[in-house]
Formats: sequence, structure tokens, C-alpha cells
Amino acid sequence: MSTETYEKWYRQDRLPHIYCTGCGNGTVMNCTIKAVDAMGWEIDDTIFISGIGCSSRAPGYITTDSLHTTHGRALAFATGVKMANPDLHVVVFTGDGDLSAIGGNHFIHACRRNIDMTVICMNNMIYGMTGGQGSPCTPVGKISTTTPYGATEPVFDLAELAVAAGANYAARWTSYHVAELIKAIGAGLETPGLSFIEAMVQCPTAYGRRNKLRQVGEQVEYMRSHAMLLAKKARLEEQGKEIPEDMFTVGEFVRRYRPAMGVPK
Amino acid sequence: MRLVIDERRCKGCNLCTTVCPYHIFQEGRNLNERGIIVPVLDRPERCTNCRLRHLYGRQLCGACQLICPDQAIFWEEEDPYATKKVVIEY
Ligand code: SF4
Ligand code: SF4
Ligand code: SF4
Repeated sequence: MSTETYEKWYRQDRLPHIYCTGCGNGTVMNCTIKAVDAMGWEIDDTIFISGIGCSSRAPGYITTDSLHTTHGRALAFATGVKMANPDLHVVVFTGDGDLSAIGGNHFIHACRRNIDMTVICMNNMIYGMTGGQGSPCTPVGKISTTTPYGATEPVFDLAELAVAAGANYAARWTSYHVAELIKAIGAGLETPGLSFIEAMVQCPTAYGRRNKLRQVGEQVEYMRSHAMLLAKKARLEEQGKEIPEDMFTVGEFVRRYRPAMGVPK
Repeated sequence: MRLVIDERRCKGCNLCTTVCPYHIFQEGRNLNERGIIVPVLDRPERCTNCRLRHLYGRQLCGACQLICPDQAIFWEEEDPYATKKVVIEY
């Protein structure tokens, strides 16, 4: 596979994109395109759907047909697309605010129905586009414009939520772990039923700037050093050791084959 | 193959300087015409993909291209008999 083939997936007239310098969303876009290209899907039978937010601008830079829908409703539109034409390959780009706050209900019901699509959530732990308000994924103690003394609410673990709600595949990686992320997205694209891939991304503008991670490299390094493999967590629990509070888990949470909706016959 | 940074796309985030095992990307010093400090390449012919791509017939390494959020890194085919301009100091 040559590198030049990826260029056909990007809309040359739209690049460079609008994302801030060093924003991780671009990396997730690269990984998704690479995984989709490796599946051998064509531009005409793939569709990218998104809601509102920084992450949701991604389909606008991709050559395929796309839907840029209302806030939080990407999954509702995607359900419609998949039910109307099950032969299409549906990929949803969404962000943590879009998916877990405003579209929370759509998310759990899409997982429950197990509709055959791949949902890629770029979790930057904040509402980036609207100016850095706290989202359900802002870690405890972190500063945002709506939590100036530090967030106090417990956070949503989106991958665990997807497992509990019934998705067939759930994984979490970060924008630093590009090779693993591509593998996870590829596995998600292959699995029938709803596949959920959460990609933690750096947001130097809205999140890093307020949380002492102003440089892009610092935030990527933070994600690298604070990611803990699921296997390691299980091992620590088994040994009865304490798990540091600020670590988050990465890895494949579930892969199963529950009956799915919208799988082409 | 030759490693190239597309100056029209690069936003100077320097993420590429953190991933390359050969440290081919080095932080730049000078602004380009878009007002961005693009990383400079330190002996790019050392890149695994530049050297061995044709031998293996597939993409190798490519970590820099994947992590670049702005799709600015790519490889160009080199013409083996191209005339090169060499500046001789004397
Ligand atoms: S605000 Fe954050 S998430 Fe949005 S483009 Fe900028 S860096 Fe990326
Ligand atoms: S492909 Fe690998 S070796 Fe080559 S420049 Fe990129 S990171 Fe370095
Ligand atoms: S990662 Fe890409 S955008 Fe960032 S400095 Fe390197 S070439 Fe430029």
C-alpha cells in the first residue's frame, strides 16, 4: 500500500484543516483513514457522520459522502442511514461532549440495538469548540471555564458504558498510541454490530492551556505516561495493589458477537 | 524515496520531532512565509521507509506520518538520474 493512496480520501481543497496546532483530532483522522483504506472500502460505499464540535468537523475533510448533523444526534442520523441502506459502511466521528452529554441517550440506545456501525469518539475531556466548558469526561480537579475551581463530578468511562449498554466491540487508546489505535479501529470496522473506539486526544487550546499542559508535547507525554493497560490493571487488582487515581485504562474492553441490527444479508 | 514536509499544511506542532527513532525531525528556527516554524530534516535519507520501502514493497515505520495531525508528511519518488544542484564552497 503506498502512502499516496491516502490522499484520495482527503479533500485537497479543504486542507489544511481548521484544528489548532497540535490538536489530536487530526491524528485520529489519519488512523481512521488508514484503517478504512486497509479494509478495502471504496469512497462511494463509505459514509462518515458527525454531530457538532471540533471532532465533528472531520468528515468535512474526507472525500466520501458525509452528514454533519445537529448536536449529539450523529448516532440517530447514522441509525437512519444504516437502516435505509444496510450496504453502506457507516463510520461516526464524535466527541466526548457530543456523545456523552447531549447525545448520551442516543449512545446507549445505539449500543443496545447494536446497529452495525463504527463509532469513533475523540475524547479531549472538554468542550473545545465552544470555549472550554467542562464535559462529563473532564477529570476530577481539572480546570475548565465552567469549573474554575476544578471539576468535582465523577467522570463517565465511555468504553465501560458501551460495554454495559451492549456494544459488540469497545476499545480505548490515545492519539499517542497510533499503531494500536489503527488496529482497534480496524477490528471495530470488521466486527458486525456497534463498535465503539474511544481515542483520548490532546487539546492544547481549551484543555492543556488551563491545566498546565500548554505545550502539545507535554500533553502527549501525559497521555503516554498515564495510560494503563487493562491487563496491568487486572494484575494490580489481583495482587491487591493500589491503582493510582490519575491513571486511565487503555486496551480492548470487549469483543463479542451479540445479534446485530442492520448487517447486510 | 524522499521524505518531505508539506509547508502549506504543517502548523509547526513539533509532534513529529518526538516520535522518530532516528530524530530526523529537528525543531526549526526560521519562520516560513506562512509564519510557521516548520521542523527541519536532519539527514532524512536515514529514514527506514526511505531506504527499504522498495525492497519490502510496503510502507515501513511511518510513525511520523501517522502522528502528524495535519497530514503534512509524505514520501516522494526520487528520480535516480535527476540532476542535483550542489553548492561547492571554495
Ligand atoms: S479547541 Fe481543542 S479539540 Fe478543538 S481544534 Fe483546538 S485543540 Fe483541537
Ligand atoms: S517513517 Fe519512521 S524513521 Fe522515517 S522519518 Fe518517520 S518516524 Fe522517522
Ligand atoms: S507533526 Fe506535522 S504539523 Fe506538526 S510539526 Fe511535524 S510536520 Fe508539522
